[in-house]
Amino acid sequence: MSGLRSFVARRLLLGGVQTVAVVLLVFALTEALPGDAAVSLAGDQPDPARIAAIREAMELDRPAWERLADWAAGLLHGDLGTSLVSGRPVRQYLADGFGPTLLLAALTVALLVPAGFGLGVLAARHAGRPVDRLISSVTLAVYAVPEFALGVLLVTVFALRLGWLPPTAVGYGTDLLAHPAALVLPVLVLLSRPVCSLVRLVRAGMIDALASPYVAQARRYGVSGARVRYTHALPNALAPAAQQLARTIDWLLCGVIVVEALYVIPGLGTVLLGAVAERDVPVVQGLAVVFGVLTVVLNLGADLIAHRLAPRAGAAA
Amino acid sequence: MRSPRTGRFALGLTIVAVPLVLALLGPVFAGEPGARAASFTLGEGHWLGTDFVGRDVWRQVLHGGRPVVLTALAATALAYLVALPVGLLSALTRLRWLEELLMRPLDVLLAVPSLLLILLAATVFSPGAVGLALLVALANVPDAARLVRAAAAEAAARPAVEALRMQGETWWRMAVGYVGRSMLRTLAADAGTRLTGVLYLVATAAFLGVGVAPDAADWAVMVDRNRTGLFVQPWAVVVPAMLIVALTTGTNLLFDAALDKGGRRGPRRTEKEARP
Repeated sequence: MSGLRSFVARRLLLGGVQTVAVVLLVFALTEALPGDAAVSLAGDQPDPARIAAIREAMELDRPAWERLADWAAGLLHGDLGTSLVSGRPVRQYLADGFGPTLLLAALTVALLVPAGFGLGVLAARHAGRPVDRLISSVTLAVYAVPEFALGVLLVTVFALRLGWLPPTAVGYGTDLLAHPAALVLPVLVLLSRPVCSLVRLVRAGMIDALASPYVAQARRYGVSGARVRYTHALPNALAPAAQQLARTIDWLLCGVIVVEALYVIPGLGTVLLGAVAERDVPVVQGLAVVFGVLTVVLNLGADLIAHRLAPRAGAAA
Repeated sequence: MRSPRTGRFALGLTIVAVPLVLALLGPVFAGEPGARAASFTLGEGHWLGTDFVGRDVWRQVLHGGRPVVLTALAATALAYLVALPVGLLSALTRLRWLEELLMRPLDVLLAVPSLLLILLAATVFSPGAVGLALLVALANVPDAARLVRAAAAEAAARPAVEALRMQGETWWRMAVGYVGRSMLRTLAADAGTRLTGVLYLVATAAFLGVGVAPDAADWAVMVDRNRTGLFVQPWAVVVPAMLIVALTTGTNLLFDAALDKGGRRGPRRTEKEARP
């Protein structure tokens, strides 16, 4: 029992340190600007008025640690700073892009779990037979493909050749739910990589579990096949998959940025790319902190769940 | 033994051969750049039409593979160049503080999504191809170092290492001669998945405009820039996109088939470190 508690405590501590590190890393960005930060941010329009405005907006005359303290204190209150380009608060940028991104992510995760587990269990049940070979090869192949290449090919086939779906979400604004056809391709592309990796993990875990002595024993007792599969074997196959589900967050984040750019969806990824292109450092920093902390929290949750599901498997940790 | 594995190996090799040959030998056969034509046209002596600024698409395709492949290979090599010594040293040292000092900072870096790291850097610098390779390598170091450390720790806990130690063999002999050699198989499997992941990151970053010139001859950049003409001239997008798909898929299939011998490995199974 003390082993469990100390694992939880250590993992929570790591999560806290990671959060602080993300904040420090993101803040260090302005310090990493070569030369005079204000001059290099002004970039293409280096007129003195703009440089002075940037210097004042970012309070570059004050020592770094003071700015860090101010910024971190602001973060705690949900104040993420102000954009250099538009002067609007960063929080407003977040609020604008939040809806479409959340919609995409929620749809993807909602489809990912049943599709991943369903296909994984299916493949494991038919291990070595054509169904399994087909699922294994396709997942292995698609797993490696970058979203933008897959997405552009899907657009060519389904929007251009067949004309079934709109090629992009241009003109639909943030109200995407009213145009479900525009969501099909983005969600499909977002799903491609995570589903493949989840299927492969569930398949491997299920094959191991189904070959284990306790499953053989349950079968000898006459427990039905479905019950053995879903109440005895699946939970053990779940632990590595639960961790993978959190690693998937990293991919979903990369995927969301690409997919939003590809299908012109006005979400957080588009906001981030726009800010990167305009060198709008406060907006980039605000979004990066939100994304980074989200990743830390989700990974933490997944590790704790995985540990709860299969404490013995985690005993080596 | 022949059937599925050999089949998959041949399949992977076939799929990866086309983009790889194009990437490595393409620039040799590309020839001199012709005069610019109108953008997004088909025919008129241009086998695959013209791109968004009127350049010959086939010529761009011949040139566009090399940056993707070379950047990915360099980034993978760089990642191991850092990860190998760090992982080996932290697995074999008996100084607890040194181990913590080497591995803890990497745990923290592991928390930052890789594409976010690259985009953050792109806000501040304008990385070229070298910068992109360094960034992708940096994003891969934490995971690679953990894997090296786990594999080395497992090998270092074997009785053979105890015996070597008692015989008074040098540290170098133990670390490289025994531990390094016995984890080659794990490393090879990891190198395969890592190269696939690196190819993904390099291509995606280039698609988002990081580390490349806006009109560069690069398959990912071609997909991005020629998207506006997709309705008029799809070849300028479809051909480079298919080549990227073939390159990544083929690499993954090839490595999976080549290493499918003892114990299948799932994709990126996250190994919890086993303390010796």
